[in-house]
Amino acid sequence: MAVIRGRVKKSGGEIFTASMADIVFLLIVFFVLTYNTEVDRTQVDLPETWVRKNIPKKAAVISISSPNDGEVIRVSTGEEMSLPVSTYEEVITFASTVVAQDPAKEFIIKADEDVHYEKVDAVLDALKQSKVKVIFLLSDQRTVDG
Amino acid sequence: MGVFKNKKREIESEIFTGSMADISFLLIIYFMVTSVFSATRGLDFALPEDNRDQPEIKQEDSIDVFVQPGGDLQLDGNLMARGQIADELLPYIAEKLRQNPKKPVILRTDPDATYGNMIYVFDILRTPIEDGGIKIETISIPTQREISNIWTMLGIVQ
Repeated sequence: MAVIRGRVKKSGGEIFTASMADIVFLLIVFFVLTYNTEVDRTQVDLPETWVRKNIPKKAAVISISSPNDGEVIRVSTGEEMSLPVSTYEEVITFASTVVAQDPAKEFIIKADEDVHYEKVDAVLDALKQSKVKVIFLLSDQRTVDG
Repeated sequence: MGVFKNKKREIESEIFTGSMADISFLLIIYFMVTSVFSATRGLDFALPEDNRDQPEIKQEDSIDVFVQPGGDLQLDGNLMARGQIADELLPYIAEKLRQNPKKPVILRTDPDATYGNMIYVFDILRTPIEDGGIKIETISIPTQREISNIWTMLGIVQ
């Protein structure tokens, strides 16, 4: 008896990948354009505000960690990774050096919302003594719920 | 006569793209890991130029906003609870500015208050007043050292 072999036509189960390259390059371009190197990785809960202005890139950063992390002050010129400082005199020295190189340099204070104001006050005072012209207080967007 | 056709073997010129996907994904992962969608906005304030000729602002010529621990305010010496600040601070200041539009606001903060308490009030002070073009022209944030210097100059012992 002849056996008839059924020729089952295989349907090719392929994932359409032609547009993958487009998507991948789109993502790469997006990341290249929005790429920001983080000069200070201190984890803080920023205070929330309604009023928020754009902060220029490469502004110098002074961060103060939360009370749970010891309210450590770190400084960065905006181009190098931040370094901890232990005294306010060091903040003055740092800020004076930065201002001497670029008198119009903006400074960012990135502080946890639970930090004692005493610390922020001392940093502000150090910046004032160093003749800093513009200071930005980093904040998150405040929402109606907040 | 038989014609011999030169059978030239064509070399296929293709750019090898097999590893492009690997490289692309590697780049994406690199950017995703190292890229930071950092907060790049905040409250700004310009510090005054060091000018000896500038007139000293006296406390009675200004609106004195003193942030206390816990977030309550002393507004020109009168207590304002934190819950009232959002609704009552700006109307109070608008009323004062109607009498004297040049009146500066001095924002002082108790050293034991939190930074969040101060920013909460500063943010409200920076919010435009919805009242016939009235605007706070100057907000001064003196530091403890500056306040102490003023007290010393006035001969007041704290």
